[in-house]
Amino acid sequence: MLRQPLSADIRLKRRKRLDRAFHCLMLISASLVVIFLLLILGIILGKSLPALKISMITRTPGTGYYLGQEGGILNAIVGSMEITTGATLLALIIALPGVIFLNTYLKKKSAWAELIRLMLDILWGIPSIVYGAFGFLLMLTLHLRASLLAGMVTLALVELPILARSVDETMRLVPSELKEAAFSLGASRWQTATRVVLRQVFPGLITAILIALGRGLGDAASVLFTAGYTDRLTTSLLQPVATLPLAIFFQLNSPFPEVQQRAFASAAILTLMILAISLAARFLGRHLGRHRIK
Amino acid sequence: MVDHGRISLKGVNVFYGKNQVLKDISLNIPAHSITVIIGPSGCGKTTLLKCFNRLLDEVEEARVEGEILFDGQNIYAPEVDVTQVRKRMGLLSQKPQVLPMSIYENVAFGPRIHGLQNKKKIDHVVEKYLRLAGLWDEVKARLSEPASRLSIGQQQRLCLARGLAVEPEILLCDEPTSALDPQSSRNVEAQLLRLKENYTIVLVTHILRQARRLADYVAFLYLGELIEFGPASEVLTSPQDPRTRAYITGEIS
Amino acid sequence: MKKEGLAARVSGLSAFFPVVLVSAIFLAIFLKALPLLSLKSWSHLIFSSAWQPQKGEFGLWPFIIGTLSVTAVAFLLALPVSLFTALYLAEYAPNRARKMFLPAIDLLAGLPSVIYGMWGMLMVVPLVSKYLAPLFGTSSSGYCLLTAGVVLAVMIMPTIIHVSVEVLGSVPVSLKEAALALGATRFEVVRYVILKKARPGLLAACILGLARAFGETIAVLMVVGNVPEIPRSLFSPAYPIPALLANNYGEMLSIPGYESALNLAALILLLLVIIFSLLARLYLSRLIRRSV
Repeated sequence: MLRQPLSADIRLKRRKRLDRAFHCLMLISASLVVIFLLLILGIILGKSLPALKISMITRTPGTGYYLGQEGGILNAIVGSMEITTGATLLALIIALPGVIFLNTYLKKKSAWAELIRLMLDILWGIPSIVYGAFGFLLMLTLHLRASLLAGMVTLALVELPILARSVDETMRLVPSELKEAAFSLGASRWQTATRVVLRQVFPGLITAILIALGRGLGDAASVLFTAGYTDRLTTSLLQPVATLPLAIFFQLNSPFPEVQQRAFASAAILTLMILAISLAARFLGRHLGRHRIK
Repeated sequence: MVDHGRISLKGVNVFYGKNQVLKDISLNIPAHSITVIIGPSGCGKTTLLKCFNRLLDEVEEARVEGEILFDGQNIYAPEVDVTQVRKRMGLLSQKPQVLPMSIYENVAFGPRIHGLQNKKKIDHVVEKYLRLAGLWDEVKARLSEPASRLSIGQQQRLCLARGLAVEPEILLCDEPTSALDPQSSRNVEAQLLRLKENYTIVLVTHILRQARRLADYVAFLYLGELIEFGPASEVLTSPQDPRTRAYITGEIS
Repeated sequence: MKKEGLAARVSGLSAFFPVVLVSAIFLAIFLKALPLLSLKSWSHLIFSSAWQPQKGEFGLWPFIIGTLSVTAVAFLLALPVSLFTALYLAEYAPNRARKMFLPAIDLLAGLPSVIYGMWGMLMVVPLVSKYLAPLFGTSSSGYCLLTAGVVLAVMIMPTIIHVSVEVLGSVPVSLKEAALALGATRFEVVRYVILKKARPGLLAACILGLARAFGETIAVLMVVGNVPEIPRSLFSPAYPIPALLANNYGEMLSIPGYESALNLAALILLLLVIIFSLLARLYLSRLIRRSV
């Protein structure tokens, strides 16, 4: 009974075909994205296996390392951890009070809040190479050399908007009733912010920190001119520091296949570290939320 | 063609995941009249309505069992095309959902996708159904404006016109006046009463007075079960089942 | 009460930091670029293609074109794939697929650019030099515009997909149902209703992707060839601004005017990115305002 005249029938068939074609296109696109991901991860792990020895993560480069002799990239692993931890802490110290101010002292639609958020958006969009250039200029002005300190400060600037924006997002979602409840108990703004709001956004804060950490760990352009590079472990803020992305970058440009292999292994190590951080972000974000008011 | 415009349900069960929300519903909805489905909130009224035009297909965890016969054919049969089922049933939802386009385009949307291309014919259709929905005089001078600029009551009548423009035989109304002010509600109700001559109307509501004003037949749903069905005069004045009576007297809501 | 006032002042200072930072970055780079601007005109520096620092020729045109063309290639490749994927995830994918897919997208977004660059060198470069270039009757080292475009496209896809999925998710279900109830196919609902409703947000997603593409440095630098000439085809090398900066910024002190020229390049990049960030924000906030 649900029959149509012939021309309508043909038209319906055409519409159905279009619908199916569209569905296919979408499936193809989505699979492409998955394929790219698998290709990238696959080639890194595949290429790195032959060079992935335990000495890679336990030793610093020995003499002749860049000609294919023995050694590892412990300097870059430790260096990356130092610089990224420092930068993330620094970014947190600079950003967190500001975000709290934004969400407790300023009205939601105030012009200042709008301006600050706009600036955060702009900072978020500024490429890390520009931060690198700015950090370099800052370094010159302060007569610093390329060092852990300079690299850390520059990287902190890169991480700042990432951190601030994601903490801000979670803080904005805190119901105003919760704040009002705290106010009505006689808590000051600052007490409300630190004891109620901060507790409420704690899982979000941890996730934001881990995201910033991951981003910092992988960033090469900002530390290119500011952190320098060294084959030793860095023990002072004023010494230059090696970082994993740069270690990969330099080794990859080597003409020696052994050294290139190690670049692949280093890449695998970096990828695993970042994977671990992003998994931790996911896990902690889910499991820290016990005290949250939903 | 005796059955024209008639829906009957045979043993319809609906599950959301493991939750059964409609239990073994069998029902004959008479043509060219208004059948009102009443019941407390959460009883499955809206789900039942969405069974009719297979919008439940869009809900991933929903599963429908049983048969819904429309003019004698099961609309859940595999060979049935869902767009054709929906074309024959207009939907008026709780909040008016105007499409993101002009007033004119809103009404023309349905006929266009179903193949009407002649500009003059479309003009004609748009005017005809805007008149039928009682909106033409208010909007004829501003047809190219975005539909979102209309008042909420006008938007609901625009949705009615849009639904009528695909020439359905059935109108499904899901609490169509719940977002409207009293004046606009009366306006929509008046249109529905006029339309029942040519259309079979199924209306879900939780307002008993609305049911009294509009219904020719009443179905009472409670916790996913069809408790009672019959002519409005009987169900609303002398219900057989104690639960229906309790609902009508306001004990359960 | 006193403690309260101090806390407010300190945190207020911190809140104001982003404003200071943006101005500082802009000013520092602008001031460093200024000496060259007093010697030569803007238009000469921007539109001249002569890049010979030793002879005092600092035409930035090849780098500007390099940046724009790499970004354009990447964007054209990434856009359809990202949009279709986002539509799939938002409108079609079963819940379980969506739950697996979104973390994978975030993972892709989190990978460092040096990893993408390495992938480009290992896979895309040989693919282009051995197969694609001969297919089009030319030869190429593989370190070229197309390779950089492909690598960059894969890098910006997660950004575009992520924002698009969120934007598409904000289209009310009942609106889709209204269109479906008229007998529209899902494709028709997507094409005439969802895409229309979500357009500003999708535009913002694209702009964010573009802004990211403009500034991407290491991955592009590794595969683009870095020859300061205007690329003649997809298979020619190019030299985008970020790569220019990465290769030269740290050691620029010896030649007069050179430092200034590099800072001018950085300034151009900065301006491009700021304009795009502002545009994205404009569209996103308009969308949010409309949906509230």
